[in-house]
Amino acid sequence: MDLFLQQTVNAISLGGTYALLALGLAVVFSIMGLINFAHGELMTIAGYVLMFCGLAGMPFVLSILLAVSASVVAAVLMERIAFRPVRNASGATLLVTSFAVSMVLQVLFQNLISVRSQPVLLPQILSESVRIGGFVIGVNKILAIVATVVMLIFLDWFMKRQKAGIAMRAAAEDFAVARLMGIRANTVIAGAFALSGLLAGVAAVLWVSQRASVDPLMGFMPVLKAFIAAILGGLGSLRGAVAGGFLLGFIEIYLAAFLPPEWQEFRDPIGLALVVAVLLIRPNGLIPAPALKAQKV
Amino acid sequence: MKTLALTTALIAASFAMPVTAESLRIGVATAQTGALAPFDAPVMEGVHIAVDEINAAGGIGGTTKIELIEKDVRSDAAQTSIAVQELVDQGVSFLILPCDADPALAAIGIVSSAEIPAVSTCASSPTLPLVGGDYMFANFPGDNVQATVSAEWAWGQGMKSGYILYSPDTQYTTMPLYFAEVFEKLGGTMLGQDTYSIGQQDFSAIVTRIASLPEQPDVIMTSAYEPDFPSFLKALRAAGVTSQVIGSDGIDSPTTLSLGDAAEGLVFTTAGHAAPGSALEGFNKTYEKIMGHPSETVFNAVGYDLIKVVEAAQLAAGSTDPKALRDAMANLENVQGVTSTITYKGTDGMPVRQVSLIRVKAGGRELVGQPSPTADLIPAPRMQ
Repeated sequence: MDLFLQQTVNAISLGGTYALLALGLAVVFSIMGLINFAHGELMTIAGYVLMFCGLAGMPFVLSILLAVSASVVAAVLMERIAFRPVRNASGATLLVTSFAVSMVLQVLFQNLISVRSQPVLLPQILSESVRIGGFVIGVNKILAIVATVVMLIFLDWFMKRQKAGIAMRAAAEDFAVARLMGIRANTVIAGAFALSGLLAGVAAVLWVSQRASVDPLMGFMPVLKAFIAAILGGLGSLRGAVAGGFLLGFIEIYLAAFLPPEWQEFRDPIGLALVVAVLLIRPNGLIPAPALKAQKV
Repeated sequence: MKTLALTTALIAASFAMPVTAESLRIGVATAQTGALAPFDAPVMEGVHIAVDEINAAGGIGGTTKIELIEKDVRSDAAQTSIAVQELVDQGVSFLILPCDADPALAAIGIVSSAEIPAVSTCASSPTLPLVGGDYMFANFPGDNVQATVSAEWAWGQGMKSGYILYSPDTQYTTMPLYFAEVFEKLGGTMLGQDTYSIGQQDFSAIVTRIASLPEQPDVIMTSAYEPDFPSFLKALRAAGVTSQVIGSDGIDSPTTLSLGDAAEGLVFTTAGHAAPGSALEGFNKTYEKIMGHPSETVFNAVGYDLIKVVEAAQLAAGSTDPKALRDAMANLENVQGVTSTITYKGTDGMPVRQVSLIRVKAGGRELVGQPSPTADLIPAPRMQ
């Protein structure tokens, strides 16, 4: 039973990180109908900022702020430079553009920084653990759970109480009508990218604090997980993204924890089969978006 | 693609004596981008240093300059075979292939039918030359040899129980299976094993299982490398597991040394150690002078040694004919590299070279030893 609870804590922590990642994709998709595969590179950028700040000997809290800001700025620039010119193009064009942005950035990292992964200096406290009752919980797990909760509360408040957030929700529901109500398309889309950059930045800090290094191809795996989680939850639905992220985290951890040893090798295919099974029952995801067809401007 | 040196044929032709000066064309199909680039790129830096040094001295034996023809295979198996075909068409006498056994094997059909000797930059799977045939060589201490060295060390330290973490994704990441085999042969008990996928971010489920074992293993062995290894090690220590951890050459990297307390006492096998006064220390100084920054990894020196092997093979063969080069290479004995001496004679293409056991101490490397493994204990290559 203790083991089960311990693994559940692991699952919440991992699921939380996946939820943040999936939310980053969902925010942009809900408004633009674009799955931004360059989302992972925003994380890589935040990771490199953490690395450089560590080398410069900055306090870790300041490094986190800079890393998250860098990711936000990069996301807004990405929209302005790469996606705005093709905003009205077909979904396929947008998708290919996002792959191109991702590859261009990866090669730039390889050529301008290093092909080898670079160590990120982390405060010792992140490698430690605390004992609560009979549990041993890593400090970076607690950090992941706290960060997820804070971000989810912030998002909820932002989307419900803030003008920009309400505008985004309106745009996600029906962009044309939202524009008729006087909402500026450029502002809403740039805002969505900034928000996705913020989510990517926070997720990157959690991700990097686990692996202690950053490499040019680092963004691929998280964006893949985010994509699966977003589809599982219902593409374009923010609540769905959170649900999908947590469900994916639980599936992965429980399979790794409780599958018999001889089956462990097939953990990933079994996990994906479960995802497919969920989609067979709920083809639009766990919590589908109200307006599935995101309209472009 | 850049051609580093040009043929000296024209210069030679102007001499009265009928000297047939030629150049040795080496085709390089390695990953300068993608997932294998972290290994291939540093090896190629070492290759360039060696080639420039030899050419500056007039070429191999003072006559044969080395000409590199380079292609980026983007860490892709299909691209490797395309690049190798192009290089063969350009008439190369020698081929350098990517670091991992799988893309290197993708080129094997072309290599065998063209009968050109090929060497992987740093693949360490003993199955590579076995599957690859007569023309395929490796350039790194084999996985089975590294695992034997670390298992014998662990047993010698009085460790009786072990646990392994491996990944079936590549040949290299199955090295712990060799470790388990040797450790059990020595009399040790394996308490269990776990698998992971390359690129796996989260090891919390696995470390929780290890931490909750009724008996903690004395030693945990894995050949996971970045970014998997640091995640695993940090999670393991955070879960309160204090067992000795043994890794392999893939973690010979600055990240491992920057992990702080989590990595303290970690032991790993690698291809060399820059002890004061050693040839490797000398190479590292040269590297820093040329590149402007210190060498981050032993893979630089491994690349330098690769060209030293080619040089020795060319000197022994006395020609640039690929077949003669292959035969000469297969019979090389005690070639002095900067990491170790290198012997191909009597092997199937997996070189005999020294394995260094390194311990991480206060964020630095400490040499544990460079023991020769007991020959009888080395497991046979395992086909995946």
